Amino acid sequence: MTAVSPEQGDLGPPGRQALRLFVRNKAAVFGALLLTAIVFMTLFGSFFYDQDPSRIIARPLQGPGEGDAPALGTDYLGRDVLAGVVNGGSTSLTVALVAVLLVIVIGVTIGAISGYYGGWIDVAFMRFTELFQVLPALLFAMVIVALFSPSTRSVAIAIGLASWPQTARLTRAEFLRLKNLEFVKAARAIGASDFRIIWQVIFPNALPPLIVSITLIMGAAILFESGLAFLGLGDPQSQSWGLMIGLSRQTFLNGWWTVTFPGLAIFATVLSFSLIGDGLQDAFNPKLRGR
Amino acid sequence: MDPLLSVRGLTVTFGSFTAVEDVSFDIHAGQTLAVVGESGSGKSVTALSIMRLVELGTRGKIEAGEILFRNSDGEVIDLVRQREDQMREIRGNQISMIFQEPLTSLNPVYSVGDQVAEAVILHQGLDKEAANERVLDMFRLVRIPEPEERMAQFPHEMSGGMRQRVMIAMALSCDPKVLIADEPTTALDVTIQAQILGLMRDLREQTGAAVLIITHDMGVVAEVADDVVVMNRAKVVERGPVTQIFESATEPYTQALLASVPRLGSMTGLDKPAPFELVEYQP
Repeated sequence: MTAVSPEQGDLGPPGRQALRLFVRNKAAVFGALLLTAIVFMTLFGSFFYDQDPSRIIARPLQGPGEGDAPALGTDYLGRDVLAGVVNGGSTSLTVALVAVLLVIVIGVTIGAISGYYGGWIDVAFMRFTELFQVLPALLFAMVIVALFSPSTRSVAIAIGLASWPQTARLTRAEFLRLKNLEFVKAARAIGASDFRIIWQVIFPNALPPLIVSITLIMGAAILFESGLAFLGLGDPQSQSWGLMIGLSRQTFLNGWWTVTFPGLAIFATVLSFSLIGDGLQDAFNPKLRGR
Repeated sequence: MDPLLSVRGLTVTFGSFTAVEDVSFDIHAGQTLAVVGESGSGKSVTALSIMRLVELGTRGKIEAGEILFRNSDGEVIDLVRQREDQMREIRGNQISMIFQEPLTSLNPVYSVGDQVAEAVILHQGLDKEAANERVLDMFRLVRIPEPEERMAQFPHEMSGGMRQRVMIAMALSCDPKVLIADEPTTALDVTIQAQILGLMRDLREQTGAAVLIITHDMGVVAEVADDVVVMNRAKVVERGPVTQIFESATEPYTQALLASVPRLGSMTGLDKPAPFELVEYQP
């Protein structure tokens, strides 16, 4: 915000500047392409590989290439592992997306109000946030899912409720930093209301670190969903990568392919989010580059 | 003639610390009043109190006094007793403010045109297109070259002087009756300072607004002020028309403040600049 180096001077608005830096980062672009591929597979994979993942199609526990097994083998019931991998992403991604939306709504609202108003509002909201923060996230989510019957919705809500404190604290920190800057004072001096100052003046300036953090939370939420499914707390009706690994854990010594391929899918998805988050971090904060 | 803005017995405290004590002055339409004093003398707090911005986010409190303002309907209202929503109507619309740091007083994520348009839309209920027309007029008024292109630029693409012009355009966009300028030229270099001060003087003549300028620079005072209020340690030390203050200041503090402006050639032949004598203010 101080002196502008001539190199950055003609790049235009801050957003476009960040995009250029992002595109220059090879790892981040790889992450974005990987994620695009995964989303594409999840959305349209069944058109190309039309196989019901819950149908028994061959002898159980055949490895890739053995007998009449499909490309990635069959699981302990004789279901197609590849079909599971192709279809399992939709649950993971949906749950993660809904959970992250919940995180944004709760976390940003509480953080913004807390940071902007300060005083007793801040104290009350932050103690409330800490209450959630000290609960072990996985246990807390398990309790919520166990209380309501496991379904895509309850899992998403549980993950959202367990993950928002970090976002609230980050938003609050950004608001504390930004609210005393001159342009906020100037906005007040032209007669802007609190609501306007929070959402139209300060919030856009707090976005860069939030976007980075949200991307990383997205990756964590996918892992979280897989963890819950692995523990048997996923939606039993829907196929998910975590559930596949969880159900195959007794047989994986006899059939490595039953856990490896869904595991790789989780790994790739979380990795893509991490790489994108990292790239965004560098793009929004060029000073950190080369670190 | 009745004053446009009259501050009477204003006292502002931050906890147990008194930042402004029993300060009174009047500002008339079309006139410029300069509030002068060293850092911490309470001049900025006085300005923020008129906007009623001193209580927000700090522990500041207007303890006593009244700030009488003749609004656009001709009624005299006490700004100290206005509700927050009534103040929002006044801020930017009838009384507006320019800040010290042009580098940080514009929001980095919006184009400057949008930011000025925002103020117009907020108070005059114009649509986007009419607001942009208004912004264009304002940019011409504050002599921003190539206003059409400049409107789409972001703050980081502009120099400090240009940004301060944008701030002035924003402050004047709703035809305020009082313009408060809190050290408007402190962060600018001398040639740009002179341009901005000249601009403010012209604009005051064109719009008939009253100007309250806060500064510690006696050179700026000589340039623009009609009346002067000298402050130190939260209190008014001396007040009067600018010629009287410059020619026959009675208070030792004012005389010392005047003497603190270096004169060209006064340090010729010295190895390094000679320090000025410190003056302790004795009430």
